[in-house]
Amino acid sequence: MTAVNPYNKNLDDRRATFIEYPQAVPLAFAIDPKVCIGCGLCENICLAKAVRYADRIKESALRVGAVILSSGSEGYDPSGLDYFGYGRSPNVVTSEEFERILSASGPYRGHVMRPLDREEPRRIAWIQCVGSRDTNRCGNGYCSSVCCMYAIKEAMIAKEHIHGDLDCTIFNMDIRTFGKDYEKYYLRARDKEGVQFVKARIHTVDPIAETGDLAVRYVDESGAIREEIFSMVVLSVGLQIPRASVALAGQLGIELNKYNFVATDPFLPVTTSRPGIYTCGVFQGPKDIPSSITEASAAACAAGRDLAAARGTETRSIEIPDEIDVSGETPRIGVFVCNCGINIGGIVKVQEVQDYAATLPNVVYTDQNLFTCSQDTQDKIKDKIKAHRLNRVVVAACTPKTHEPMFQETLQACGINKYLFEMANIRNQNSWIHSNDPPAATRKAKDLVRAAVARAGTLHPLEEKKISVIPRALVVGGGVAGMNAALGLANQGFEAVLVEKEEKLGGLANRLTHTIEGADVGAYVDDLIRKVNDHPKIQVQTQSLIVGFTGFKGNFSTEVLVGPGMYERKIAHGAVVLATGAREYQPKEYGYGEDPRVVTQLELGARLAEKGAGDLNEVVMIQCVGSRNEENPNCSRICCQSAIKNALHIKAENPDANVYVLYRDIRTYGLLEDYYTEARAKGVLFFRYSPERPPEVVAGEAGVAVTFEDPILGRRLQVSADLLALSAGMVAEDTEELGSIMKLARNAEGYFMEAHVKLRPVEMATEGVFVCGTAHSPKLLSETIAQAYAAASRATTFLSQSEMTLSAVVAQVDADKCASCLVCVRSCPYGVPRINAEGVSEIDPALCHGCGICAGECPAKAIELNWYEDDQLLCKVEALLEGVL
Amino acid sequence: MIVADKKPIEEIIETTRNFKRLLILGCNECVTVCEAGGKKEVGILASALRMNALNQGREVKIDEITLERQCDHEYLEEIRNVVDQYDGILSIACGVGVQFTAEKYQATPVLPGVNTKFMGATEKRGLWVERCQGCGQCILATTGGICPVSRCAKRLFNGPCGGSGNGKCEISKEVDCAWQLIIDRMKALGTLEDYEKLSPIKDWSTDRAGGPRKVVREDVQL
Amino acid sequence: MRLNYPTNVKIIRVPCTGKVDTIHILRAFEKGADGVCVIGCMEGDCHYNSGNFRARKRVEQASHLLEQIGIGGERVKMFNLSSGEGPRFAQYAVEMTERVTALGPNPIKLARKRAAA
Repeated sequence: MTAVNPYNKNLDDRRATFIEYPQAVPLAFAIDPKVCIGCGLCENICLAKAVRYADRIKESALRVGAVILSSGSEGYDPSGLDYFGYGRSPNVVTSEEFERILSASGPYRGHVMRPLDREEPRRIAWIQCVGSRDTNRCGNGYCSSVCCMYAIKEAMIAKEHIHGDLDCTIFNMDIRTFGKDYEKYYLRARDKEGVQFVKARIHTVDPIAETGDLAVRYVDESGAIREEIFSMVVLSVGLQIPRASVALAGQLGIELNKYNFVATDPFLPVTTSRPGIYTCGVFQGPKDIPSSITEASAAACAAGRDLAAARGTETRSIEIPDEIDVSGETPRIGVFVCNCGINIGGIVKVQEVQDYAATLPNVVYTDQNLFTCSQDTQDKIKDKIKAHRLNRVVVAACTPKTHEPMFQETLQACGINKYLFEMANIRNQNSWIHSNDPPAATRKAKDLVRAAVARAGTLHPLEEKKISVIPRALVVGGGVAGMNAALGLANQGFEAVLVEKEEKLGGLANRLTHTIEGADVGAYVDDLIRKVNDHPKIQVQTQSLIVGFTGFKGNFSTEVLVGPGMYERKIAHGAVVLATGAREYQPKEYGYGEDPRVVTQLELGARLAEKGAGDLNEVVMIQCVGSRNEENPNCSRICCQSAIKNALHIKAENPDANVYVLYRDIRTYGLLEDYYTEARAKGVLFFRYSPERPPEVVAGEAGVAVTFEDPILGRRLQVSADLLALSAGMVAEDTEELGSIMKLARNAEGYFMEAHVKLRPVEMATEGVFVCGTAHSPKLLSETIAQAYAAASRATTFLSQSEMTLSAVVAQVDADKCASCLVCVRSCPYGVPRINAEGVSEIDPALCHGCGICAGECPAKAIELNWYEDDQLLCKVEALLEGVL
Repeated sequence: MIVADKKPIEEIIETTRNFKRLLILGCNECVTVCEAGGKKEVGILASALRMNALNQGREVKIDEITLERQCDHEYLEEIRNVVDQYDGILSIACGVGVQFTAEKYQATPVLPGVNTKFMGATEKRGLWVERCQGCGQCILATTGGICPVSRCAKRLFNGPCGGSGNGKCEISKEVDCAWQLIIDRMKALGTLEDYEKLSPIKDWSTDRAGGPRKVVREDVQL
Repeated sequence: MRLNYPTNVKIIRVPCTGKVDTIHILRAFEKGADGVCVIGCMEGDCHYNSGNFRARKRVEQASHLLEQIGIGGERVKMFNLSSGEGPRFAQYAVEMTERVTALGPNPIKLARKRAAA
């Protein structure tokens, strides 16, 4: 039975029994009850007896100590917006549909075609802000934060997939590429790949019946009406909270804000209104993947605090028997061939493969099973290992990605080293893909088994070293990020040593007064400092400098010079959290430093707190000072909301004051958009300027004369300002020395480089080192707090092990062969090999990542990678090509 | 160290084409460091030459041995017992190694597998630059540590010639004028007044112009 | 995904293409392989940063040598894709098989036959 496939956005079909998508977890089939006709055939056919046809929804009760809500969002449905043509022409798609069209596992297998006639598009238009920043046709006044970036990404990838020319135009009000390095991606799209960006709100999209194209009509900046023809139009739909989540919140008694996102306090970004229930991800507010992943860890930290007292009380540990020493023995290989139901057995002649395996060198036992991965087969294998004194095991079945760890556990349970195991993939790499040629599949299965047996013969036991873990973290930096990270760790029972180079704690937050929501930063920071100083598990060292760093994950030793006396202290710790922060850029432009009436936003904020705005009549603000330029190509993320915060403060105290904001894009993302709307409503004037023609500033007696262009009037205007506030961006703290002492990767702008931009946003490449706050990239106070919690959470996961098992797949140098040539030292992406006291290269197994690059580069062939030694790979080559020549 | 570069494989194929039993002899010192003649390269060359022979229908035996060095008798002794199994040796050590091996095993042709270039340093991975030509009488103390013998195209000893422009030598825009470098360096060291001191005419008899050289150290010979 | 590709493609697992040595590639041809693919992550996305860049250099070196000795430099190729792109893998496997089929068998095999005759 087939049905329209909602995962591929209804662009293709799927069966009633289906796996939702290739990366689904668990990767198992489900039955769609809406399409199922009730024949029950699936249950009878299943050889593993895995179908429970009469299964019904069951309710169960769980007793838990904390709850985390991460129910996410749904894409806005633009069916109601008739003027975009969605629903009238299949060539008008939402961004979600376009993602599936681009996907190699989507309905068109990665060929970019338009739905109507399956033709390759020549020109594609993206329309931004569909279902976001729109209180007119839908209630979503907020910015969805992700659509600008994903539209650019879709344009770039579409251009890659279509080998001919593809014109891409993104129609927008502002381009909001405010994340770390996102601005550089925008510039690459615009300047290198030729993606066009047009500032316009689209009025109408009309399908053209004869060609299937779409006519897009809009008004450009000069006021002229333009019409352009596109092959496809993509509506960049925003994120909104589904009704089911709203209902869930109601049941749980959680307060939501007016847009149905969870209501949170800026200083407690993952805490809901109900104690013990936390939230993260888009349910907390629109955000991208790195921020979602960060918040997830933050929520874990917050929940972890509640659960700290009960840690370990419900976990089970497994007993592993002592390992038998097989190092002197000749290999005795057991080969277990799997039928995998009919997956292998239906194509490959499994009995033939088993018989063949018995003829191979060193094979002393063979067997076949219906499902080798089942629990009873594991018990059977254990019996056979013991009965036949097997010291190597080959399983010919599926991909090692599914069950290799489980089979390795089976070996360990018999006292056999887990590295004496090899799999031959005769399913994913054989029966599944050669179903049209069974005899060839059987021959290939024999080849693959022969190769696996050859390799098994070369395997020898490898030791997984265990290292102890010191349950203490070093937090570098005593600002809001550092203090929250220290508390996050300490509240879960771990010690934290907080090292701060200044005399006071607080960092950049000491210069802030209020958040844009009106929360009192000063009071928060004072309270935070008090908590940190009072906590029995936190040691604070101010006026301290890090001068030395050695060790490896779980076992670091840092030398610190403490206090004005500079006395030396060595701290032993298991993990590091970097929270070195950032500073406000000191402008060189617009007369800053020459005239006292030219100030930065931080200075303006302090001035408003002290003197108010009563004496200010004309205030001009210039955005993007020190950001988005050649020296610093990035966006500093916080300046738009900072300017609007101060503008609203001025207007609140002095409604008659004129406030002019000169901007390039207004980046009030997420729930900050409402403040931009409020500012406009209160009469703050916004003028866009282009970086080629920036405002001109001349300080005079009467005032600071600011001359700028109004793009709508097409004329130059001049304001004589009482105060010119420059939205100076963020600059990373100088961490060059720290970076070289601790071998920390930093990007071109001096921010620390995380291990993976999206999936590991608070971890550094070196294991045991974490990063948070503005040391990572510019961010708001609430985002800093969330990231600090996240770093604490990742660090506690790390420190909570009493001992760590290192992988045995590490590289080793044969000192006798080493020519001390330094090639390995230079090639390792992690800087692990070093020349030791004996003058030869040495690789610390605790630091090695196991990639094998050094082994491949070594000109003296002095390095081997455990489990992937040269002869262990070459024997497979020779076995696979046996008999060819 | 001595810097060498791989010979084009076509050349090696040509010079070894008549050998039926070939030994490829590598060296674990300089040529390993400049990635031209270590154990890895021995393996790659051996495999390529074997395939070349098979492709032409020829039967050849090609073996691989890498010695610690080929410029010391003791290491070369290690192959004494197997040398007569081969009708040719392809040494991928520097020119010194090729010759020393040839002198030791006079009955076996020893062919070079690399082109020895110069004495130089690793400026960065994959870039080696010449620094010394072994003139035999080092005057680096008077030139701020920069050698006009190896780095000046005319080997001038008393300042640049008229062809020096914008810090570059007239032979190529990519070659620095050694004397510009020397002047800059002496300025940085604060020894510029020594620049005016004339260097006497060099005794080139210590250079290769004086014939093949040797170093004798009676204090370590008994 | 059960996509089909030819049976003559056989896979050896390595932790990173950075581990694949030039000698591994050459040994395959020495033993009679008709073609070798090195398949790694997208450039810039290597799980270990630079492994796939190193691999590319080695593939280029092997290709040059194979060309010079008359085996054919076109027989070895590097492919970059992400682990989620099953269909692309199948497509490359088919592409490589077609390319190598067009080039004919490893010349060493033919030379062997002639020598035996």
